[in-house]
Amino acid sequence: MNGGLDTLAQTAKPTLGRRLRWLEPSMVLWGLLIAILIFLVASPLVRLLLSSFQEAETGRFTLANFVEAYENLRHLQALLNSLELGVGVALLAGLFGVPIAWAISRTDMPAKSFVRVMVLGAFIMPPYLAAISWILLAGPNAGWLNKIWMGVTGADHGVVNIYSMAGLILVVATASYPYVFVFTNSALDLVSSEMEDAANILGAGTLRTIFRVTLPLVFPAILGGLIISFLEAIALFGAPALIALPAHFHVVATQLWQFFEYPVKVEEAAAYAMPLLFITIFMFWLQRSVLGRKGYTAVTGKGGERRIIRLRAWRWVMFGYALFICALSVLLPTLVLMQAAFAKAWGRGFSLDNLTLANFRYLLFEHSQAQNVVLNTFLYAGATAFAAIGLSLAIAYVVNRKLVPWSNVLSFLCMAPFVIPGIVLAIGFYAAYAPPPLALYGTATILILGFTTRFLPIAYTSSAAGIRSINPEMEEAVRILGGGRLTAIRRVLAPLLKKSLAGAWILVFIPATRELSSAIFLVGPNTRVISVMLFDLSEEGNFEVLSALGLLLLVVTIIIAGIGFRVIGRDFMLRRT
Amino acid sequence: MTRDNIASRRDILKGGSALFALTVGAASALAPRRAEATQMTVHEKDLYEAAKKEGELTWYTSHSDDVTAQALGRDFESIYPGLKANVLRTTAQVAFQRISQEVKAGAMQVDVLSSTDIGHYVYLKDKGLLEKFVPTNAGKVLDIYKNYDPDGYYYVTSAGLIGIGYNTNKLKEADAPQNWTDLTDPKWKDKIALGHPGFSGYVGTWTVTLRKLYGWKFFEALAKNNPQIGRSINDTVTMLNAGERIVAGSGPVGTLMESAQKGNPLAMIYPSDGSVLIIAPSAVMKGVKHPNTARLFMEYLLSPEASKVWVDHFNEAIRPEISPTSGAKSAKDVKTIRPTVDEITKGIPEVIKQWRDTFGV
Repeated sequence: MNGGLDTLAQTAKPTLGRRLRWLEPSMVLWGLLIAILIFLVASPLVRLLLSSFQEAETGRFTLANFVEAYENLRHLQALLNSLELGVGVALLAGLFGVPIAWAISRTDMPAKSFVRVMVLGAFIMPPYLAAISWILLAGPNAGWLNKIWMGVTGADHGVVNIYSMAGLILVVATASYPYVFVFTNSALDLVSSEMEDAANILGAGTLRTIFRVTLPLVFPAILGGLIISFLEAIALFGAPALIALPAHFHVVATQLWQFFEYPVKVEEAAAYAMPLLFITIFMFWLQRSVLGRKGYTAVTGKGGERRIIRLRAWRWVMFGYALFICALSVLLPTLVLMQAAFAKAWGRGFSLDNLTLANFRYLLFEHSQAQNVVLNTFLYAGATAFAAIGLSLAIAYVVNRKLVPWSNVLSFLCMAPFVIPGIVLAIGFYAAYAPPPLALYGTATILILGFTTRFLPIAYTSSAAGIRSINPEMEEAVRILGGGRLTAIRRVLAPLLKKSLAGAWILVFIPATRELSSAIFLVGPNTRVISVMLFDLSEEGNFEVLSALGLLLLVVTIIIAGIGFRVIGRDFMLRRT
Repeated sequence: MTRDNIASRRDILKGGSALFALTVGAASALAPRRAEATQMTVHEKDLYEAAKKEGELTWYTSHSDDVTAQALGRDFESIYPGLKANVLRTTAQVAFQRISQEVKAGAMQVDVLSSTDIGHYVYLKDKGLLEKFVPTNAGKVLDIYKNYDPDGYYYVTSAGLIGIGYNTNKLKEADAPQNWTDLTDPKWKDKIALGHPGFSGYVGTWTVTLRKLYGWKFFEALAKNNPQIGRSINDTVTMLNAGERIVAGSGPVGTLMESAQKGNPLAMIYPSDGSVLIIAPSAVMKGVKHPNTARLFMEYLLSPEASKVWVDHFNEAIRPEISPTSGAKSAKDVKTIRPTVDEITKGIPEVIKQWRDTFGV
């Protein structure tokens, strides 16, 4: 881009060239990057804010949207439900994630790598697929677990009901505890055993040491993980749509979707979305201020010996617990998804005469859209990954090498989408770019732009970490020897960053293949993606075809994650960001 | 001269391929495909030629389940080679939501809309969003499906019944609810599955009909039985198949009978106080990208071929030439009830609101 501008400047008339000389190329670059970021991040948000204060037809200032959005008791209840869901998920995810993280980091629990792979699997499983599989597992009358329970005890009804707030909390927690795990695990890996030893010497037992020394030391990290789980949960759309509706309650995201029924009330939706936005910003601020607090300097990452705690017989108890979590989050869901995907009717159970490939045949050959939809999904996710990495790399470079003043503005804008729930971002994008003059509705462009914005923070974190790890001296050497900055980037920086960029690419690609909440408002009939098709198919409750489609998505994702595993190393997804 | 030659050669090729299609059709005992060169009327042929330049259309439909919708799309493609039908099956209100978004964004993506909420057409016509088009097939359907819109914007292209479905493994016919008010009996607590009027046009019309018959207190009593509420009316059939619930309070006859045919333990009660008859129109939208394919598709939806696909999937035929499938009762054979177009148009938005207050979603 910069090169193009350079040539442009050179071929322009000399007077123009002289006039532009005071304008350094880096300034042009800065301007360009900020323009892109304003387009992607600031403008949809500002548009959202503005439209929440606008009358639908006239565009005049009004507060009526807020009144209408909140005068209905059901709408208020949905907000409370979201908060309950968020808190419940955060706590349960903590209960799932922290013990496993501790066991893997500090104890001699067996089969650690197996458990790690399972946690990675839970990370790959999209929440709406988890929801579908849990409907198959714990539907109050037909779910596998309930049928087994009824078979064993002779009871006439099941024992777990997935169609409830508790059920929804469980489903979302099984999908989001990997965040708590990653945060806690990487913090524990940095805590040296010295303080634990001190506690032991002073007579504290293992348990007492864990609760009084180890866990408090990594408390900020745990809190960080809990907050991410909370925010994920309140922003989710797919899993609540599948589970909360039959359970007779709404959450903010499903309620937001209702504003898009006829007549489309974008303005009311924008007003209704504001609390979600502010809660998210507040939680991030909270996390930052807790993490930034002094007094946790024990987590320095330097020196110190980490001693493995011998659990003796308890190591099997610990392993049992880890296995239990893995079963809830990966093993059981995958099993029932596979059963349903290859079944004529999933309720008929595991038998040979119930086996069929018809669901896959229907999707791949008889359905007018499925082929395109699968193709679209991976094309858009790939394009998104390239766009997000390219943009974030340029920005990370500019920011890190301090090529321009106020470079922090750039990194702030890059990270801002982190605090915007996907469904809110999509409403902003729809309001800003769907209508003319850009008229992007129904195009692949609006989806890719929306996804790029949504996952820019992930890409930026990785890019910035990569750039930071490379000493500028090497580029300076190139420049001293007469090479331009672009040569330095191409011949020195790019090769050095290859691996971490590939990792970042996958980190963006995987969530982009399964993104539902921002896609739902941006797809047209020819730009549908798997997640949206799953959502539409789920209206009819068609679980066999749904499972087959979900399995296709999972298989491709696992292949790509597997390639990442081989090329980049085991922990690329669990790296602390 | 040369041009004529090419044209005639093309005709020969066409004749040949038509013949081939005929033989293949006869050989495999499929429904006879229309031999394009021989049976197509001039009007149809003109439309087809114009449509070929467009190549495809996008069809939003809520008239049937996904399987039937896809079958109709494939059938259209096989009658008119070279055209692609992009079939998008959702519930009526979701289709309408997408269209509202498209109208608001000024970018129409849909060509033909087949909603089950007849009120949608009244509204869209009023806003000038429908294209006027009089299909030649419109006069050839059964009389009860004719002239829903005298101005020629929308046409009834499918019809279906709603009764009470039940799981035959868990319930004997004599014990099943025999009329709508039976559903409020406390013995059905936690046993009923329903669709949602905020999604399904069938359920919307069903709700309007029963509100008219028994007042809203019927639904308040029904809510006490804690029904499972899905989105599409077809979800009730899934719930019965899975054994999650045993009575489909709003049971779509077509989807349910087709599923029973496949070996699922299902049967239908046609309530003594009347099965709800749904009459569902289609229309070409204004300012679409593929107007000729859209018109041709309207002709197709009103053709005997489409009616054949419908009855193959246990729904009503709207053409007199096609007789209903054995096993499923037709609207002619049972007592049916249905509200007027006015009542539906005004009623559905009202009952959606009432539903949300009563059922919480």
